[in-house]
Amino acid sequence: MIEFDGNVMLFGSPLTGKTILARNILLNELKKGYSGIYITTNDVGEDVANWFNEYNAKIRIIDCISKTIQPNSTDTEVIKRVTSPIDLTGVSVQLNKFLETNCKSGIKSIVIFDSISSFLMYTNLQTVYRFMHIITRRIKVTKSKAIYIVHDGMHDDKTIATLKQMFDGVIEVKEEDNRKFFRLVSSTHKTDWKEFSIKGKKVIV
Amino acid sequence: MSIKLGIPAIDDVIDIPTGKVVTYCVDPEVEGDVFLMQTLHKNSEKCKCTLVITNMSPMVARNKFKEFGWNINFPIVDAYSGLVGDLSNEKYVVKDPSNAEELSRIVEDAIKENDLVAINSLSTMIDLCGERIIVEYFKNWGKLATINNSVLVVNFVAWPYDEKIINTVKACSNAIVKIGGIHHRVIIGQYYGLVKVDWTEVRRKSVLFKVVKPGGVRAYIPKILVTGPYNAGKTTFVHAISNKAVSVDRLGTTVALDHGHVEYKGFTIDIFGTPGQERFDPLLKMLGGEAFGVIVVIDSTKPEDFPRAKEMLEKTTKFGLPYVIAANKQDLPNALHPEEIRKRMSLPTNTPVISMSAINREGVYDVLDALLKILLG
Repeated sequence: MIEFDGNVMLFGSPLTGKTILARNILLNELKKGYSGIYITTNDVGEDVANWFNEYNAKIRIIDCISKTIQPNSTDTEVIKRVTSPIDLTGVSVQLNKFLETNCKSGIKSIVIFDSISSFLMYTNLQTVYRFMHIITRRIKVTKSKAIYIVHDGMHDDKTIATLKQMFDGVIEVKEEDNRKFFRLVSSTHKTDWKEFSIKGKKVIV
Repeated sequence: MSIKLGIPAIDDVIDIPTGKVVTYCVDPEVEGDVFLMQTLHKNSEKCKCTLVITNMSPMVARNKFKEFGWNINFPIVDAYSGLVGDLSNEKYVVKDPSNAEELSRIVEDAIKENDLVAINSLSTMIDLCGERIIVEYFKNWGKLATINNSVLVVNFVAWPYDEKIINTVKACSNAIVKIGGIHHRVIIGQYYGLVKVDWTEVRRKSVLFKVVKPGGVRAYIPKILVTGPYNAGKTTFVHAISNKAVSVDRLGTTVALDHGHVEYKGFTIDIFGTPGQERFDPLLKMLGGEAFGVIVVIDSTKPEDFPRAKEMLEKTTKFGLPYVIAANKQDLPNALHPEEIRKRMSLPTNTPVISMSAINREGVYDVLDALLKILLG
């Protein structure tokens, strides 16, 4: 579907299907033997797990939102909850634990951050930048892949520019006349725009 | 009057007199927040305590204590609810936590009215209100604690801040406990140690720990495995490096286990020598993830054994453990040079191959150094 390495930002306007695209990319990587880790700031962990369950896809989830709605919610084997989306330390600790488990079993990981825009709603750019600095490096040394969802229109140009420089590439998503397109732009190459559509939960390229 | 931090190994060496500022300086990705909680738990019945929270709701904070089996029966300074638009019934409430002035005023009240004030995340305050202003206020809180004979304990996550900011936070702390990670691609172990105490002399010591629920911080002794082909000199190595060691052997070869104990660079390390590959897996399991590295001893004069050594290496890699090669018997005339060994075993250039003569105790600490360098950076 889309071939990439390292850390990429998935960038596009709201409602262009970024989340579904990211989830389909993850499913695709699972087939190649990667292990999936999903960091959610919008949907509660159970909803994300259910989405993937339909594909019999076992992934692990870091849930940043449940405890702000339901303080009593507890961890499960695959869903680990941090105290709030402000708790970037908690996210980094939990992510490292998941990566460690995968590393010890010799499995590479694909990580989805859904989304960086939400982190930026709760904390300032500088803080998120420092956090990403640590995370992107960890992804590299573990030879993992990660997709960071960023919503267009929610941040100023400076924020986007600052974020972009941390990534190995950007998957851009756009919508024109009700048709959706994506392409991968990196420092070394640029793919052509590819049209895709969403059928139920599936992305068709 | 003085308090204990409630942390194993640290309580043995220091008491915290009133008027002091103690900082838990935590590396990102390391589970450090439990330390502050454990300090509160230890002291909550003996003195008036309060917890300042900035990144979770009071209810979540109470639940976190419960998960460790601790009851939270002290007031909370709620500097979170205001941020997400919730109402708060806590004793101290910061209506707008991003307003440094209001935040500081309430923290000051808390310091005046309590014996122990714990700030759950100085880093979150810095992130919300700005680096300079919070660091300035932090200085004042320290002074206020001194005047009021209270103790201020803070959690500070050392994100890549401006070095000046990190140094100022450190300079404002009378004692610093560093909580760090042992990196090998991911963090495979966590350690803590006192790195600063400005009112008395203490011996630096680092301890590896795990976090258990319920229970909290549990210190453990790191374990290093020594493996290698038959007659490579594993037992000699374990004895050469250890302050004390025992072996269970028969007719000069190890049938059960070598066990040594070394005090080195502030760490207390247990060293286990394994008799052979067959028993390696169960031994790793037995150590329950407390093994943090492997030393593969090879006989530099016996290239015919290298394939077997290589096989053992693959096992350790499977467990994600870092390793070094100890090229033993370098005192013998026909010993191969470490670089030649690297070539013959086709080892990556970043794998340390250290020359050693276990029988003469030469180079044995270089081997340990090489392993610790991988682990601690």
